[in-house]
Amino acid sequence: MLRLWPLRQVAKVQNVLGGLTQIATKSSQPVPAPELVEVFIDDKQIFVEPGTTVLQACAVAGVEIPRFCYHDRLSIAGNCRMCLVEVERSAKPVASCAMPVIKGMKVKTDSPMTRKAREGVMEFLLVNHPLDCPICDQGGECDLQDQSMAFGSDRSRFTDNAFTGKRAVEDKNIGPLIKTIMTRCIHCTRCIRFASEIAGVDDLGTSGRGTEMQVGTYVEKMFKSELSGNVIDLCPVGALTSKPYAFTARPWEIRKIESIDVMDAVGSNIVVSMRTNEVMRILPRLNEEINEEWISDKTRFAYDGLKRQRLTTPFIRVNDELVPTDWETAFVKIAEKVKSTEHASIAGVAGKFADAEAMVCLKDMINRLGGEILCTEESFPMTTSGQVFGLILIDFRSNYILNSKIAGIEQSDLILLIGTNPRLEAPLVNARIRKTWVHNEVCVALLGAPVDLSYDYQYLGDSYTVLKDLTTGKHPLCQALSKAKKPLIILGTDCLQRDDSHIILNAVRELSENVKKTCSNKDWKIFNVLQQSASQVGALDLGYQPGVQAVKTVKPQVLFMLGADAASFKRQDLCYNATIIYIGHHGDYGAQMADIVLPAAAYTEKDAIYVNTEGRVQIGRQAVSPPGVARHDWKIIRALSEILGVTLPYDKIGDVRSRLAEISPSFNYPGQVSDSGFETQAYKLQSELKPKVAEPCPNPIVPNKLKLRDFFMTDPISRASLTMAKCIQACDESEKNPYSKREAV
Amino acid sequence: MATNRLVQQGVKQVKPLLSVDRTEARRRVLNLYKAWYRQIPYALKAFNIPVSVKRAQDKLRELFLKNKHVTDIRAIDMLVIKGQMDLVETANIWKQRTHIMMFFKDTVNPKPTDFLSKFYEGQD
Amino acid sequence: MASRICRLIRPVTTTFARKNGLNTLSGLQQNQNFLKRQSSTTGTTKQPTVATRNPLIRKSLTDFGAYVAECLPKYVQKVHVLFHDELEIMIHPDGIVPVLFFLKEHTNAQFMNIVDIAGVDKPTLENRFEIVYMLQSLQFNSRIRIKTYTDELTPIESACSVFPGANWYEREIWDMFGVFFANHPDLRRILTDYGFEGHPFRKDFPLSGYVEVRYDDEVKRVVVEPLELTQEFRKFEANTPWETFPAHRLSEGNEKPTAKPEEKK
Repeated sequence: MLRLWPLRQVAKVQNVLGGLTQIATKSSQPVPAPELVEVFIDDKQIFVEPGTTVLQACAVAGVEIPRFCYHDRLSIAGNCRMCLVEVERSAKPVASCAMPVIKGMKVKTDSPMTRKAREGVMEFLLVNHPLDCPICDQGGECDLQDQSMAFGSDRSRFTDNAFTGKRAVEDKNIGPLIKTIMTRCIHCTRCIRFASEIAGVDDLGTSGRGTEMQVGTYVEKMFKSELSGNVIDLCPVGALTSKPYAFTARPWEIRKIESIDVMDAVGSNIVVSMRTNEVMRILPRLNEEINEEWISDKTRFAYDGLKRQRLTTPFIRVNDELVPTDWETAFVKIAEKVKSTEHASIAGVAGKFADAEAMVCLKDMINRLGGEILCTEESFPMTTSGQVFGLILIDFRSNYILNSKIAGIEQSDLILLIGTNPRLEAPLVNARIRKTWVHNEVCVALLGAPVDLSYDYQYLGDSYTVLKDLTTGKHPLCQALSKAKKPLIILGTDCLQRDDSHIILNAVRELSENVKKTCSNKDWKIFNVLQQSASQVGALDLGYQPGVQAVKTVKPQVLFMLGADAASFKRQDLCYNATIIYIGHHGDYGAQMADIVLPAAAYTEKDAIYVNTEGRVQIGRQAVSPPGVARHDWKIIRALSEILGVTLPYDKIGDVRSRLAEISPSFNYPGQVSDSGFETQAYKLQSELKPKVAEPCPNPIVPNKLKLRDFFMTDPISRASLTMAKCIQACDESEKNPYSKREAV
Repeated sequence: MATNRLVQQGVKQVKPLLSVDRTEARRRVLNLYKAWYRQIPYALKAFNIPVSVKRAQDKLRELFLKNKHVTDIRAIDMLVIKGQMDLVETANIWKQRTHIMMFFKDTVNPKPTDFLSKFYEGQD
Repeated sequence: MASRICRLIRPVTTTFARKNGLNTLSGLQQNQNFLKRQSSTTGTTKQPTVATRNPLIRKSLTDFGAYVAECLPKYVQKVHVLFHDELEIMIHPDGIVPVLFFLKEHTNAQFMNIVDIAGVDKPTLENRFEIVYMLQSLQFNSRIRIKTYTDELTPIESACSVFPGANWYEREIWDMFGVFFANHPDLRRILTDYGFEGHPFRKDFPLSGYVEVRYDDEVKRVVVEPLELTQEFRKFEANTPWETFPAHRLSEGNEKPTAKPEEKK
């Protein structure tokens, strides 16, 4: 089976060869004193850096060259030949994607020779491409379709297949997400390059040659990657299409709404495709600072969970059974309960999908009622033991966000991961680390479970003693840390859910302070936290307490749950006659536990603000309307506040957003992220606090998600998704497949 | 007669639709009103409209008064022409109940204005 | 009067008839040209398939247009022949009946057939509506277009007295544009529903209309209510999913090379 070289090796070889890879791999290493090269594109003079390919130079000149195999973020294959252009004094047309510019080169992108070359290539590509566009899911957004319309001929001289038929290739089964119709494949090898370079999974390759060449896995197995769905976007034809989306909609009849993903704390930019008030599919949207142009499979495929197990009407618990009712009845019921309780005993818990608007409304309402306890489900060390309302470390933003930002990972030269499995907690952060590892040869070390991160790393072990050694400087890695110009320490949040989380956090902070002292680059942020839930940073920004410890301590009588479905506490943890009001969109743990259920909108159904793990404020847009009589979360709380007699002064979403900006100015600048400060002060304050428990517990510091199967179902939406269930099933079957690579751990 | 011609010449600047002066336009409006007024009982019966004659007459008056502000003779004529066509459609029973009931707009609820009623209605 | 017209017509009669003869001739020629072009284009050159101009037809149309202008100087304001050999006559709204009558009954015109009457709304003009009459002469295998204008309140004389077939076309224009046709035998709505308000082809009429219609189960009839669009129809996507290579597309036709605007910069 023919495989491409792993890019790391290619990069090494090409570095020896010289400047070519500088551009090809988008290396961030600066080119020493670039002397610009003068080239002429269609007689237009432009200056580009040496090593630029002709195709890129044309793009600079504003001429888009047709291509199939070339892709900005992948290595250059040069095998589709669609990008042929005429270069003066060259006998043959030149494949522009692989040809570096030469001084004084004269390129003709629209000459008769170029056109003839394109037409010829297109004719060859279509010799064996089936004409099944009417039943092809790529139809309407197909590069081959578009380019054959623009550059192809209207007939073919190849008539043999009128008698023999076209080449046919057996379809491959590579899992529940990607549908393959391999007859349509034009062998651009984009999927293979994506798998081996970006996803780091060498599952795809080609076998055979000439007419017999096939793209596939050689033996039947699952394309086992958390980023596998991206090959659907990459495929220029309909060979790889989405299995759940198959035959459901056409690109020209769907509306595209630009939104934000909430499946993890990365906040990937997405495009929600909608038709007849239904989410048809989710595609990535380009954002170089966050997700580039990829999204994870959960983001892409969990949308069918938005249609199942939804709450469409309010419910009231009568005789231990939830009975459907209407809004007014439910509100009156809540008002009765609230009236008869002591107001200090009202609390709120925000779940992982809670948007900032709803959280600020809930906070304001409970505060107006006299309640103080507002927390998130995910814990984060913040106080000394026993002191519930004591000094809160989360006052310092730098304590809980990814300070160096996702794009900043590319600059680092040493990454230490502690108690995290970024591949499953934040696949796109992991893709960044892998990108840095491939192109910049960054050194990665991991303290935690020996999981498969899709790149090599130095495994340090999983015990607290290793962390201790690192802080005291005994560990051999310390030397590398002190030598590194831009080291990164990324702390996972799973290990902060434990009782000794404070000790771990302290140790990691101490370590980063130590490294900072020796680090030459004083502005560089070393300490980073990789959050996992989309609401966490926003909630902490708004003054929510992390963790439900306060709820367990105070045992409130009325508890509002804003989509809290992580089962972080039980009914027994509350007051014996407590009333639980659940505001959320899925009938999951929270709704099962609740006395009154108010149906709210999921992330595709509301205009809402989310703050990602970098602290970047982003606005998601409403694509479809909430099902049944479900309403937008903040409106529910606003309406309820009126019934409860503490009317919130927000009638429009703009009012809520100005309130958000009052609390934290960062809400004024959606899409941007500002540098966090006060790391040293935060550390000093923190080191003065006494840990909750004196001794670190002996359990190993390991993240919760270890294998790919743990990735798919993590929240109410993905738990309701059939596609995600199929993924888990496929993962389990893949374990039994003798040809499939065993996952570590 | 002579003055009438003068007026006609004065109006000739713009081509008259039907009426040459205000009195004629007024007469046409009143005629149309009377014709509708007389038609109401028959129409209500023919279409089996669940509305009293009084209410229908009030509605007629309301609809005519809605265009009280129109002063341009040709605009008045245009309205008269359309009203006349409407009357013919009604009198010949070309219309159906739905079309007659459109005058009354009985299924249109006033839009909620305060937040809470908007919330219950499910309106943005 | 009649004799005057005859005098005017007499000399032209022959020319028009001769022209007509040429007409058929030139038609043949055109066919031959077309065949020739067909055989030559099967090779490599790509040319858009557009109708070609025929100088002979053009000449006869120009002459006839001039002749009409000469005969009806009071009404004809402008005559021109369009790129693809189509004759257009702009007239004053007062002259609709005489002009149509002339074109229908004149021996050398015989535009007996009214193909269509169309309205055009140009809201920026003082006379915002353009009324276009399209006639055909079976006798001479020829077509002509007569254009006139009006505004919202000025009536236009109905052509029904000349062409009874104009009846429904004019009703349609009345219905769609609200142009009133004086002396029309049966002017009433033709396309819209009874009770419909407004004229849908006017440019200021919203694409969505003003009302929505649905069956109401409570009152057991169809009800008409003010428009309230559902979420999906509130936004319209204007950009096309096609045309991924607009630059190259332009250069495909023989319009102008794409490089030019860039060179200017």
